[in-house]
Amino acid sequence: MSQERQPAFDRAVARVLRTGAFGGFFIMLAGLILSGFVPGRVPLAVERTGVLWMLATPVVRVLVACFLFFKQKDWKYGWISLGVLVIVMLGSVFGIGEH
Amino acid sequence: MLVSVLLAVVGFVAGVLGALTGIGGGVLLTPILALHFGIPIREAIGTGLVAVITTSAASSSVHLQRHTTDIRLGMTLELATALGAAVMAYLAGYFNRSVLEGLFAAFLAYSSITLLSKGGKLNEESGGWPENGEIPPYQPQRYPLGLGASLVAGGLSGLLGIGGGPIKVPVMFIFMNVPLVVATATSNFMIGVTAAASAIVYYRRGDILPGIAAPLAVGVFLGSLLGARLAPRVHTKVVMYLLVGIMLYLAGHLVSHLLRGAA
Repeated sequence: MSQERQPAFDRAVARVLRTGAFGGFFIMLAGLILSGFVPGRVPLAVERTGVLWMLATPVVRVLVACFLFFKQKDWKYGWISLGVLVIVMLGSVFGIGEH
Repeated sequence: MLVSVLLAVVGFVAGVLGALTGIGGGVLLTPILALHFGIPIREAIGTGLVAVITTSAASSSVHLQRHTTDIRLGMTLELATALGAAVMAYLAGYFNRSVLEGLFAAFLAYSSITLLSKGGKLNEESGGWPENGEIPPYQPQRYPLGLGASLVAGGLSGLLGIGGGPIKVPVMFIFMNVPLVVATATSNFMIGVTAAASAIVYYRRGDILPGIAAPLAVGVFLGSLLGARLAPRVHTKVVMYLLVGIMLYLAGHLVSHLLRGAA
């Protein structure tokens, strides 16, 4: 590795991604099953929640890595992670009010 | 409901093929949504991104547990991929349908050629593991080149909703002196953040359709889990020809769709 290997760091980030993928999957699956039985807007709202959960997963992953880098006083990569976070969040400013 | 089931099945098949060949299922989904489900190309791209994020999160959590991902390298290059993705996702709002469809057809043709030129050696690409389980020590080099290539890969991802792996993996491996296993895992790791940077823009614009994205992502997720299990037992050459056949069919279909639209 480019730096020393840190299995605990890898595991923490892996846990975020696994929770995100499986959580999003089950929420979307629930929405899908609901759409077969429940009329109206509820199933779509559940599906939308699943989509937003999935979109948030990589953001939370960067946030957790950023926190861990700062916690172990790895300033350089802490700031880099914070930069990535800012750029990703820029997207939510870009998209406003268009179509 | 019938459409949802059909979408889940399509996602499942794309997920299996994507995991078997290591290219990810998103490349197939966007043109299928556009051509066979009548969804405008920009919505198809935005909706496909949700499936890309889901598979990237699931597969990179596996790579991380094997400790083959270089988080620091990935995070550094993400500065460039996320920037490229966000900017191009924004600009995609101003590109007309024909341009996006034409670019997508070109990308499908390019992916087919790279797959064919690699021949049957696909398993290394999809994250093979060194025989003795040890990764040799290395030091990433030529960061400016890596960041430049990442900017391009991120831009492509933002514009077309694809992962950009075919660019990042060779750049890390050949130019940055990173072992192939690590380059593959790290590229996969970066795809989630890159796709999220553009997906947020598409979502704000209303270009992600949750009713379509949910069945698709559910199918892709299950398909890629199965594909990853099957990978060691399936003859990849057969799968490769199948995938190349589907990609060329979709590219041709997109071009004829374009020509009909222009006439």
